[in-house]
Amino acid sequence: MSSAADPELQGVPASDVEVAPTEKSFLRAVEAEPGKPTDVDLMMGIQAGDPDALSQLYDRYNGIVKALILRIVHNETEADDLLQEVFMEIWNQAKNFSAQKGKPLGWMVTLTRRRAIDALRKKQAYARAEERLQAEPEQQPLAWVQNTTAEDIRLGDTRALMAKVISSLPEAQQQVIELAFFQGMSQREIAANTNIPLGTVKTRLELGLKKIYDSLKELKDEL
Amino acid sequence: MSFEEFQNCARLYVIGALEPEGLQDFEAARKQYGAAAEDFINQCYSLHEAFALSLKPAKASSAIKERLMAMVRERSQNQSGSAST
Repeated sequence: MSSAADPELQGVPASDVEVAPTEKSFLRAVEAEPGKPTDVDLMMGIQAGDPDALSQLYDRYNGIVKALILRIVHNETEADDLLQEVFMEIWNQAKNFSAQKGKPLGWMVTLTRRRAIDALRKKQAYARAEERLQAEPEQQPLAWVQNTTAEDIRLGDTRALMAKVISSLPEAQQQVIELAFFQGMSQREIAANTNIPLGTVKTRLELGLKKIYDSLKELKDEL
Repeated sequence: MSFEEFQNCARLYVIGALEPEGLQDFEAARKQYGAAAEDFINQCYSLHEAFALSLKPAKASSAIKERLMAMVRERSQNQSGSAST
């Protein structure tokens, strides 16, 4: 169990979810095609109780949401179950979304991550995750950046750009960020799991996150 | 805490990796820097989107959406039914 001071995972009842204020986000989400409703339009529709709005939001983001869940729980069946639960939660918690405070994707990602990490902990999958970590210590960071090609980047694919930013980090920094973000581990848990001194974990996290943050700022205009 | 130190803590905070012993100083600095601090924290949430968007989308079973929409429509009907009675 993480002991980190997690703003999302500690002391916030699920019913009080109001997350990911990304008003000044550097990133644009998957852009709606001309003539189609924007993400905010769909969230407004969901708030008004329109099932079709949820259906469209699902079609637009189920792949990203499932990929995030899968990255955390590492189990296809659990990921499908959680995918359904997350979109049900989006339906139920839509009233807590405010377009003034952030973008729908940021809100959904934060909600999804919380839900998936909660599930990981509740099912006591930590032990299994640790085993996996020990079994494939070098595969995890590389899996993060798979399928990134120069052509993808030329086409301006957001995923490739994000993966490129992350893959530009030293593997040691990718590893600690992977464990913190996707496994919900505290700095101490990362240190214990990797036999890296706590101070080094902190430094790697700070440096890695700063690099990603700075790269996103640079990409702001390109995106 | 300098603003640069606050920024480092904020990036850890939004991904839940700020250790409990650092939280008090972080919250104090957050108050000290006021709107600039809140603005920076908001920007840090872009990290969440970046991590999610860096992943290759995964394919979900079509049955998931069918189940989801059935639950939503049932709930909608129940709510509209109870509202009309």
